[in-house]
Amino acid sequence: MAQVTPGIYEVQVDKNYCKACGLCVAWCPQDVLADDDEGYPFAPHLEKCINCKLCERHCPDFAIEIIAPSEVLVIEDILAEGA
Amino acid sequence: MKVQTSFIIKEYLRPEMLPSTWCGGCGLGIIMGAIAQAVHFKGLDKDNVAMVSGIGCTGRMSGYMDFNTIHTTHGRAPAFATGLKMARPEMTVLTVMGDGDAMSIGGNHLIHAMRRNIGMVAIVVNNSVYGLTGGQTSPTTPIGGHTTTAQSGSFERPMNLEALARTAGAAFYARATVNHTAALTKLIERALDVSGFALVEIISNCHVLFGKMNQMAEASKMIAAMDEDTQRTNPTLLRRADLPIRLTSPESPSAPVHELTEMEDVEDESRTWRGVMFERKGSVDLSKRYYDMLGKIHAQQRAAEEAN
Repeated sequence: MAQVTPGIYEVQVDKNYCKACGLCVAWCPQDVLADDDEGYPFAPHLEKCINCKLCERHCPDFAIEIIAPSEVLVIEDILAEGA
Repeated sequence: MKVQTSFIIKEYLRPEMLPSTWCGGCGLGIIMGAIAQAVHFKGLDKDNVAMVSGIGCTGRMSGYMDFNTIHTTHGRAPAFATGLKMARPEMTVLTVMGDGDAMSIGGNHLIHAMRRNIGMVAIVVNNSVYGLTGGQTSPTTPIGGHTTTAQSGSFERPMNLEALARTAGAAFYARATVNHTAALTKLIERALDVSGFALVEIISNCHVLFGKMNQMAEASKMIAAMDEDTQRTNPTLLRRADLPIRLTSPESPSAPVHELTEMEDVEDESRTWRGVMFERKGSVDLSKRYYDMLGKIHAQQRAAEEAN
């Protein structure tokens, strides 16, 4: 299990895809995300993000993505190396 | 485990078709992502996967996913998929239908696809309402649910797809919700392993039409309610429910389900089960049986010709 270090992740929201449904904000367990004036999500408390990806899983429009820094191993990379 | 969103868009979707025409917060997008992940984790070649869809909100999914796709007539997706599977038995066929598409308009085709046990994964997205046409009562609207055509609450009994699948002869039946996304991916993965007709019913949300009339106008509220309305299957209870069906000999110690003593620390609840409902062991896909039979006939003919 990879070590979780809060605060090193970035949230990327694609406003071309986002429909401002509020699911990612409702599901965020760390209260990282919040609605802006138009209803789109933004991340006022990015330092609390633990990369759980619940927002990614519940986004119906593939608009939000958590970016881990390149030096942090992603699970897919570990699996690809093992295969 | 989760595949990166950008990877799904690049590999399994048609980015030029996005964003989808579905309402904001519709569970169909979550289901689309789960299908892409299940196909990815199974290691299937996407050129060897076919997606067949009918008409309705769900029917649009075949336009967004980058498999071999057919968008067919209303309710006839299982019929088209049967022909596809018989002609190209090496293909993995995914049939995507809504609740109205699968159970009312295409009810016949669904029953006969299950009876034949043709090898496909049928995904029935159940949002309790006819979403595309304006929120009319569908075969799965719960009793008391308010819709456009049942303003004071529906009084018809909703259809029990699980009992129908069990009786008609489907090989696998699972129920998932768009709330429990990890389980959703896992259940589609398990359905892809099945030889024969595998049905995955997915409880989705229509907060715009059904939710608005039932005090759940927000997508997050309606999806969160699925956690309270459903519970995971208890494998022990399922085994006990299977008991009278499995033991067919009259001398064998079987008992009707209602006579079984209640288990301790298991509450008797009316919540909908989610998880694998049943799986028939040793089920063989119809297309495989057909081509095996054809091979035997050809071998016999060759042997007869050589004898002459």
